[in-house]
Amino acid sequence: MISEYAGPGMTDTAEPAGRWVLERPRSDAVSGLSEQARRPFRVALTVLVIGLAITAALTVVSSAVNRSNEKRLLVLHGRELGAVLAEALPSVQTPMASAAALADATAGNPQKFKRFIASYVGGPPRQFVGVSLWRLSGGRWSPVAEVGAPPLLRSTHKNVAALFDRAASNHKLTLAGLVRSGPHTLRLGYAFSTSTMSGSGGSYAAYGEGAIPANRRSRLESNQAFSELNYAIYLGRAPATQNLIVTSLKRLPIRGPHSTVRVPFGDTVLTLVVGPRQALAGSLPGRLPWIILGVGILLSLGAALMTLRLQRAVYENRRLYAEQRTIAHTLQHALLPETLPSIPGLSVSGRYQAGAENLEIGGDWYDLITLKDGCVLLVVGDVAGKGLPAATAMAALRFAIHAYAVQGDTPTVFLPKLSRLLSVTEDRLLATVLCAVVDVDAHEVTVTSAGHLPPLLSSSQGSTFIDTPPGLPVGVERDPSYTSTTVTTPRGATLLAFTDGLVERRGESIEVGLERLRAEVSPNHMPLDDLLGRVLEQLREGAFDDTAIAGIQWLS
Amino acid sequence: MAELGKAAGAELTYELGEDSDGCPVVRLRGELDMTTAPKLETALEPIVTTAPDRLVVDASELKFADSSAIALLVRWANMVRHVEIRQPPDLLQRVIVRMGLADRLDVRP
Repeated sequence: MISEYAGPGMTDTAEPAGRWVLERPRSDAVSGLSEQARRPFRVALTVLVIGLAITAALTVVSSAVNRSNEKRLLVLHGRELGAVLAEALPSVQTPMASAAALADATAGNPQKFKRFIASYVGGPPRQFVGVSLWRLSGGRWSPVAEVGAPPLLRSTHKNVAALFDRAASNHKLTLAGLVRSGPHTLRLGYAFSTSTMSGSGGSYAAYGEGAIPANRRSRLESNQAFSELNYAIYLGRAPATQNLIVTSLKRLPIRGPHSTVRVPFGDTVLTLVVGPRQALAGSLPGRLPWIILGVGILLSLGAALMTLRLQRAVYENRRLYAEQRTIAHTLQHALLPETLPSIPGLSVSGRYQAGAENLEIGGDWYDLITLKDGCVLLVVGDVAGKGLPAATAMAALRFAIHAYAVQGDTPTVFLPKLSRLLSVTEDRLLATVLCAVVDVDAHEVTVTSAGHLPPLLSSSQGSTFIDTPPGLPVGVERDPSYTSTTVTTPRGATLLAFTDGLVERRGESIEVGLERLRAEVSPNHMPLDDLLGRVLEQLREGAFDDTAIAGIQWLS
Repeated sequence: MAELGKAAGAELTYELGEDSDGCPVVRLRGELDMTTAPKLETALEPIVTTAPDRLVVDASELKFADSSAIALLVRWANMVRHVEIRQPPDLLQRVIVRMGLADRLDVRP
């Protein structure tokens, strides 16, 4: 996150380095951001898809659970209804068996038969609409007595004898099937015989007919048991319409989920088919999948919208952050010299690096000013603090120094005047400034410090800091006084001036940082630009403060 | 004891007391940098503006101080006749010397 401003060096690289560096982070930021701009939608869409998928899965599962539950309940209810149906057998079989036994015992006494059976015959809730007693005599079955409605047996069954023969051999309730008279009267016929075919006193059989509701439909009352079921009862194993005894429905077969139960009934079976009239487990389990679906879709949409908003906020923050950085850097670089003057016999270079994650503009600067008489003024300064106040103070100081220097003032003359521009008491700002007047041909450097770190002089003979008694920083008091120190420099020497961001680390003495710099620079045989790059790379790792560094190097 | 600038990463606590001769003593603990210095200044404004003859800054437990800290100390030194900095950590003392402020700030190691 360190963006670097490579000041236009006076070495043979003619490329205007400043422009290239300024645009690079911006284009990076823009392409990165347009990519990021689509991110919120993608993330929100992912959340939506995941939410809907979970909703769909839950809906399917809950629906399946509900279906299987309904099915289980239906089977259960079907069995219960079958059990109830099975209980109907004795109510039909017992009177028939008793009547047949009575006939056997009384040699077919019609009066006794009639007296006995009369209580079972009549309208609902009696079992039979009519019962008759039949006797086998001379190979023929003929009626002996009749109670209630006359049997319809002969109108339906051509071979009446076969039925009674079967009953005589069965010794259990034998179904005659559905008997009818005309299109509307339909009954269920039963026969029972206790005698054996070889009986000496003749064989008797009781024959009864039970009523079947009109159109074979039975209305269910809502308070009745099993009122939540639709049912159809068929005689025999096949649920065919012609075998239908009774149903609760207008139309058959039962559509949708249904359960089939077979109940033994005399010599045949009854087939019971049941289907639900309504949800058997109540309405809630049936509605649950829809509730889950609705709530799930709403939650998914809500989550997606929330994600979109949050992601947009994150994106917006990033964008603002990037923008802020760009603005701060642009302003910073605008306040630094766009080009350094070309000095015969010298290589010159300056760089500025913003601290890691630094949003605010700093107050570090460097400058190189051509003076008269083949001299150059190298300035590095640092306004304590951040933001626009520091930056504007920095600009004011830089341009003031420029003006004073061009006018002919030496650092000891113009540095006191700078304190009129800045006051730590009023502006809460102070600045440290290092001035180095370089006499190129005389190989001399005159250093003046307003509370600034000393410059490093490096050559093949080693590196030393040019320690000069530091005067007060700019802004501490009006018209402070400064002293200068002049040193002679070896051939090919390099002079580096820098701000404390290069050497200062938390919890570490500044002397340690200065020594680290000295060790890094010596021995130095590098071209100035490479040296600055290397120093920044090696020493700026983990640095948070801004750094300005500028240097000159004698070409001979 | 008051805490300053905990959220900003740097953490500074200060304690106010009095010396035997009644001059205010502020005891600093933690880091005095550009995030905590303005808060400390605001917090101590009532004391500094009463213009006591002497202000003692006990810096023995100060871990870090940057140029904002120096600026604050200098500002106090300009407002109060005498600012005494007691037992500053070596790194702070060296910065004060490097910045040519040794004469302005009465450093008592």
